[in-house]
Amino acid sequence: MTGSGLSEEAEAMEPAKMASPKSAPKDAQVMAQILKDMGITEYEPRVINQMLEFTYRYVTTILEDAKIYSSHAKKSNVDADDVRLAIQCRTDQSFTSPPPRDFLLDIARQKNQTPLPLIKPYSGPRLPPDRYCLTAPNYRLKSLQKKVSSSAGRITVPRLSVGAVSSRPSTPTLATPTTPTVQNVLINPSLIGPKNILITTNMVSSQNPPNDSNPLKRKHEDDDDYDNL
Amino acid sequence: MRGRRVAVKSCLPRSGASWVGGGVAVEDQPDVSAVLSAYNQQGDPTLYEEYYSGLKHFIECSLDCHRAELSQLFYPLFVHMYLELVYNQHESEAKSFFERFHGDQECYYQDDLRVLSSLTKKEHMKGNETMLDFRTSKFVLRISRDSYQLLKRHLQEKQNNQIWNIVQEHLYIDIFDGMPRSKQQIDAMVGSLAGEAKREANKAKVFFGLLKEPEFDVPLDDEDEEGENEEGKPKKKKPKKDSGGSKSKKQDPNAPPQNRIPLPELKDSDKLDKVMNMKEAARRVRLGPECLPSICFYTFLNAYQGLTAVDITDDSSMIVGGFADSTVRVWSVTPKKLRSVKTAADLSLIDKESDDVLERIMDEKTASELKILYGHSGPVYGTSFSPDRNYLLSCSEDGTVRLWSLQTFTCLVGYKGHNYPVWDTQFSPYGYYFVSGGHDRVARLWATDHYQPLRIFAGHLADVTCTRFHPNSNYIATGSADRTVRLWDVLNGNCVRIFTGHKGPIHSLAFSPNGRFLATGATDGRVLLWDIGHGLMVGELKGHTDTVYALRFSRDGEILASGSMDNTVRLWDAVKAFEDLETDDFTTATGHINLPENSQDLLLGTYMTKSTPVVHLHFTRRNLLLAAGAYSSQ
Repeated sequence: MTGSGLSEEAEAMEPAKMASPKSAPKDAQVMAQILKDMGITEYEPRVINQMLEFTYRYVTTILEDAKIYSSHAKKSNVDADDVRLAIQCRTDQSFTSPPPRDFLLDIARQKNQTPLPLIKPYSGPRLPPDRYCLTAPNYRLKSLQKKVSSSAGRITVPRLSVGAVSSRPSTPTLATPTTPTVQNVLINPSLIGPKNILITTNMVSSQNPPNDSNPLKRKHEDDDDYDNL
Repeated sequence: MRGRRVAVKSCLPRSGASWVGGGVAVEDQPDVSAVLSAYNQQGDPTLYEEYYSGLKHFIECSLDCHRAELSQLFYPLFVHMYLELVYNQHESEAKSFFERFHGDQECYYQDDLRVLSSLTKKEHMKGNETMLDFRTSKFVLRISRDSYQLLKRHLQEKQNNQIWNIVQEHLYIDIFDGMPRSKQQIDAMVGSLAGEAKREANKAKVFFGLLKEPEFDVPLDDEDEEGENEEGKPKKKKPKKDSGGSKSKKQDPNAPPQNRIPLPELKDSDKLDKVMNMKEAARRVRLGPECLPSICFYTFLNAYQGLTAVDITDDSSMIVGGFADSTVRVWSVTPKKLRSVKTAADLSLIDKESDDVLERIMDEKTASELKILYGHSGPVYGTSFSPDRNYLLSCSEDGTVRLWSLQTFTCLVGYKGHNYPVWDTQFSPYGYYFVSGGHDRVARLWATDHYQPLRIFAGHLADVTCTRFHPNSNYIATGSADRTVRLWDVLNGNCVRIFTGHKGPIHSLAFSPNGRFLATGATDGRVLLWDIGHGLMVGELKGHTDTVYALRFSRDGEILASGSMDNTVRLWDAVKAFEDLETDDFTTATGHINLPENSQDLLLGTYMTKSTPVVHLHFTRRNLLLAAGAYSSQ
């Protein structure tokens, strides 16, 4: 992330004046010009707002840091050196860049010297040692439709809650369930978004298994929980 | 050695004669000079504009035949002088230098110049690894001996030889004996961030031949034949020995030894797969200019520009899509649904001795056409099926490469090594190994049972955007945003070939089935063809108007299919492109051959989709072309 565009803008931002209501505020015009200079011609209008927000936050953080440094050095005013130091510290913290080339060449040379390991025959699935694998998860994705008993025939609106931004709208072609009394509605999953979403790690279920004495133990859904067999 | 030369300079009077002793042959530049060049003031910064315009004047007045070659100096000198000014904090001189001369540069460097225009202070350079690498590496120019003599004489004549100083500092001039190149020839091969490739870089021996396939009998298969045989009479056939590919017992001199790199042994299921492959191959359509393949297009609807990666299995039974919402979706292309293995509880109930145990372990209740795999925390930029269809790889912006099992449809391993977005990944044609390339400018070779990479291929100046294995699994090709394609040896990690010529980041690579040639596609819309053995560009296919994202050779290498963002699939005649190449020792010594202007002759067909950029191409075992892309409504 080059700081150049931002420093240009910092110089260009004068004390606030009222913008005429018809045109965009000066900040926005500057941002649009920066985007144009960097060769970006197609963008949604909200991009300018997002960039401006980022700019304000970044500049504010830098200036606050610079104030701290200058007061630490017992200076009366914030000067360019303080700002430079603040930028450098923040860059190392948030905008990391990939390792430099000589470092990469060095570790490449080291790694490439060891010969390729021989492959043991007949060893089943070739996976790293268990602690480097993800084959022992302590959670399971669970279907929401377990509790449909009282509302059979209702199509549950699928919700996606595991970190995914669903820009893709589910296009339910309203696959009506085959019979209204079927509890587990088998909707064609390719048409509607996923129905198994909810993580059950700490869910206190309404049907507490009576034999679960340890209060610290995670409470699982009891229906098809294979641990309880 | 560099330090000593500086001391000599300071005590001798400034005269042209002082450089006679110091003028070592440019080919012998020590690399140590790079470190010290940062601190060496290359003369008076205010005079840089004069130096540059003086050189410009000289080159423009030179003979036509030399002008094209000498004009190659403009861009690297401009960039290095500008960076020198910025690095030594002469901002205003840098700015006026840029204003004055940036318009003179070639059009294909415009993107670089735009990045440069935003670098106005020394601090800006620190974060930009690509520019730092550019500054410390030597830009390679290939100039004929005559033009070089002309340049050297001019720069050493004048009183003011700062330019000569800078040339020696930052450029590596690879001199060849031969005719000076024309502008057209030069334009075909320049464009990369580090200039062209030195001839020594492409001299190492590359084993581009294929590994021998194991011989085994094609078994009698009455069931199959009966199904096809309409009369219903079983035919008696003698078992045929597999003779395809291994006609002679002698080793192909260009093929690597069988055990050059350790490869997994063939399991029984692999052998069955090979038998199927051979049967399909027997029924394969022979393609050619008169017999073009049919194209079947798989359009991803409602993906809303979220489709970022596609792969299809070798037997064309499954298709996987990686999406910007971090999901990986696997579809079954055949009527057979995707089934996963039963849970542990159910597995304990089945009879392990029964004959169809492999069928019983599969869970029919949850069989479906589509399986969605969750796990990544960023858009998925690359996907790859393993050749035995048991595993799937996906790489993502979150810096990890994940291995998924296609038996249980769960994630098995997350390989962490790149700490930056990983742009592409691919399984080796024999399984077990896979390669990944990302934003940290390296490609890594992994094995599924090692949590750390086995090899690191470092050398590119910018992100590695595309990684592919050679059919014999001994070499890896990487395409990068620095506009070069490099070929790496898996055995020792060395870079054995550097191919320059593209004018934009490379997004697609395809090896020909015989292993001898490589096709590459980039954002400039050109498809370039390379002879791996000789290390030369042997073809240039012009026609696409936008980034070429997909390239694939047909199963026997007769047709090259290319798919692009301009919503078209184009078919090119590969046989004709590779025949009659003048690649004898004389022409290869110069490092380039004359490229014929035959794009139009080689183009066999252009097929337009309505509004769907083509992201992936795949030839089935019978040479039907499958294509995939996401419908984009604008």
